[in-house]
Amino acid sequence: MDVRAQVSMVFHLDKCIGCHTCSVACKNIWTDRKGAEYMWWNNVETKPGTGYPTKWEDQDIYKGGWERNNGSMKLKGAGKLRGLVNIFHNPHLPVIDDYYEPFTYKYLDLIESPAMDDQPTARPVSLITGKPIDIKMGPNWDDDLSGTPDYARNDPNLEGLSAAEQEAMFQLERMAFFYLPRICNHCLNPACVASCPSGAIYKRGEDGVVLINQKVCRAWRMCVTACPYKKSYFNWGTGKSEKCILCYPRIESGQAPACMHSCVGRIRYLGVMLYDADKIESALTGSKNDQELALRQRDILLDPNDPVVIQAAKENGVPDSTIKAAQDSPIYKFVKEWGLAMPLHAEYGTLPMLFYVPPLLPVMASLSDVNNDEQAEKMDPIAKYWNDNWLYDTSTDELWATIDKARMPLKYLANMFSAGDESVIKEALKKLMAVRIYRRWKTVGDIDESKAMAVLEDVGLTTEAVEGIFYLTSLAKFDDRFVIPPAHREQAIEMLEFTGDTKGSTGFGFKEKPLRGW
Amino acid sequence: MKIQFFNRIFVLSILIGWNFSFAQDEGETLFKQVCVACHTINQGKLVGPDLADVHTRRSEEWLLKFIKSSQSVVNSGDPVATVLFEEFNKIPMPDNNFTDDQIRKIIAYIASNSPGGPGAGVAPEASELPPDLEGADERNGEKLFTGAERLASGGPSCITCHNVKNDNLITGGVLAVDLTEVYTRIGIAGVQAILGSPPFPAMREAYSGKSLEVDEIKDLTAFLKLADEIKKTQEGTNYGMTLLFSGFGGAFVLLLLFGGLLTRTKRGSVNQEIYARQIKSI
Repeated sequence: MDVRAQVSMVFHLDKCIGCHTCSVACKNIWTDRKGAEYMWWNNVETKPGTGYPTKWEDQDIYKGGWERNNGSMKLKGAGKLRGLVNIFHNPHLPVIDDYYEPFTYKYLDLIESPAMDDQPTARPVSLITGKPIDIKMGPNWDDDLSGTPDYARNDPNLEGLSAAEQEAMFQLERMAFFYLPRICNHCLNPACVASCPSGAIYKRGEDGVVLINQKVCRAWRMCVTACPYKKSYFNWGTGKSEKCILCYPRIESGQAPACMHSCVGRIRYLGVMLYDADKIESALTGSKNDQELALRQRDILLDPNDPVVIQAAKENGVPDSTIKAAQDSPIYKFVKEWGLAMPLHAEYGTLPMLFYVPPLLPVMASLSDVNNDEQAEKMDPIAKYWNDNWLYDTSTDELWATIDKARMPLKYLANMFSAGDESVIKEALKKLMAVRIYRRWKTVGDIDESKAMAVLEDVGLTTEAVEGIFYLTSLAKFDDRFVIPPAHREQAIEMLEFTGDTKGSTGFGFKEKPLRGW
Repeated sequence: MKIQFFNRIFVLSILIGWNFSFAQDEGETLFKQVCVACHTINQGKLVGPDLADVHTRRSEEWLLKFIKSSQSVVNSGDPVATVLFEEFNKIPMPDNNFTDDQIRKIIAYIASNSPGGPGAGVAPEASELPPDLEGADERNGEKLFTGAERLASGGPSCITCHNVKNDNLITGGVLAVDLTEVYTRIGIAGVQAILGSPPFPAMREAYSGKSLEVDEIKDLTAFLKLADEIKKTQEGTNYGMTLLFSGFGGAFVLLLLFGGLLTRTKRGSVNQEIYARQIKSI
């Protein structure tokens, strides 16, 4: 058993309101620079939609991630031989138009314009060429455009859905969408690290953050191809690739990453997971198909309260403080204890360590016929007359039927979060719904206790677990959501230099020598 | 003192240079540079006619036209020009980019060297070479022709632009005339004259400052003579159209190869279809 620590994350999609505050926070801190204008280390996508870069999930186009190869895994687009053959032209790279051409507006033209008959305008200019451009695309261009033929209907996750199912998703009255915030997954089996010919990318030992050494990067851009999430970006200014660094300077000082700290919906959780590095290979090569792989990822993650695990962790040099953080980790609860959170596209084989709680809302509600006439007559004649004869129905007479008849087909969610296995996603959704039914009994009271308890039994959750889910979902405070282990920088520094050298030289000094001397 | 000394040297050198540049008049310079490869004055026919008394035989207007562009005069159906063209083996006289004034000076020079004039006749310098090819090495000539042996002056080898039908040679260039029969066409004097002082604009440009040495001229002439003599027995390696078509064939194979490689490549943006529909203002 090779126990290691990994800072991992859970995004609770039911709570994401799609405000892009995370993206803006990240952009302001990290990528508001020359050459990085087009990068969004954190971005929020509307699903169904094509995302950023467009159709990044379609690995037939971008050739990212791993694929099965006679009982082992190999990189789909890069790798040793193929990487060498393609090293000078790298055939599957996204181009700037797949992301978007970054732009700004000439705001000074508004301020400095002389008085004239027409209003001044601020023309858009490219941040790459500096010349005026027609804006063709943006990083969230298809925001809220669910149902559009160009975006929603080109979503690669619609694969496996029948034409009728797809059509049903996009009927005007039934349309539903949710948001998918994405950052680097800081995977356990990162394709970017494996693909780098220069060896510039590494996974930090102490917390598993995947970083690109800017001094070693030689601009081969194999990581851009290899990352199936397209979260490694090439900086055209510096000629180096860059990616999300999980705000490690913030984490090391005990702060939450900027995107998580700024999250309005408080959807983001961060904590330490202990995992068994010895099991990674067997999980990857031993699983017969993608769906099995998605399930086996959970087996790699270890119980931080298990004495055997604790012992092995200590032997491996994991600090006690990190083990303590792992025991308090909200991630462990969401992923292992409750089985609510799932990795995004486990089939890419990178073992991503960012987990998503699937969105229940568009699944739970359905439409039912209703006669609104009586209600409408009561309204003031000049008020808006609501002549629809349907109801956004959240009634719970049939407990799980609404999940099967969901507006967002299970198959669609399964394609994203469980490598196509509907049973896994259904189980998670049932648990989420059980929590709601239970809490509805508690707070609204229109459901009787026996029904609420029957629901819990059905999904195999204890009342304690349900209250825990409820607390962590709705009431969690900052320190509940972010359990950040101390970075122990002092230990790292002591490995490199003798701290006694600087002892006795702190405080303050003089720029000029005092008259009386030292 | 010192400055004065250098001033004097400077002035002196200018004066010497002045004298030198005016030592020969322009007509003579141009004639010896250009015309002399093919023409003599009162020394008999060479590649082109003897130019003695040409100023009396032809009008100045006709000479101006002919020297600037002989082929346009021939093509215009001028009877004199047509006869001349036929008489001299249909070797066109190259066009010259002289001004009217320069041509008049050349004509004046010819007049002054004609039998009626004060000077003696002028023959090409090349004809000062012995008219036989005693001791010439046609093997070496072949090497010089193909470029296996570099020309001493560093000029380009003949095969770059010329072709000779010979089994030992690969097909030469097609930029200039085929030289297989050049020896019969213009004879030893003509070949040597042209090699010594190329009159054709492209060739003159290519060998300006890179004149061939006497031995080289001799060897090359010997090679051309040999090539002419044995041409009947030579298959020649002129691939002609085969070469062209095999070029197309090779290009096609390469296209297939690269096309095959590129089919696995992502081309352009996945958004191209959307962008193409967008309204453009720029």
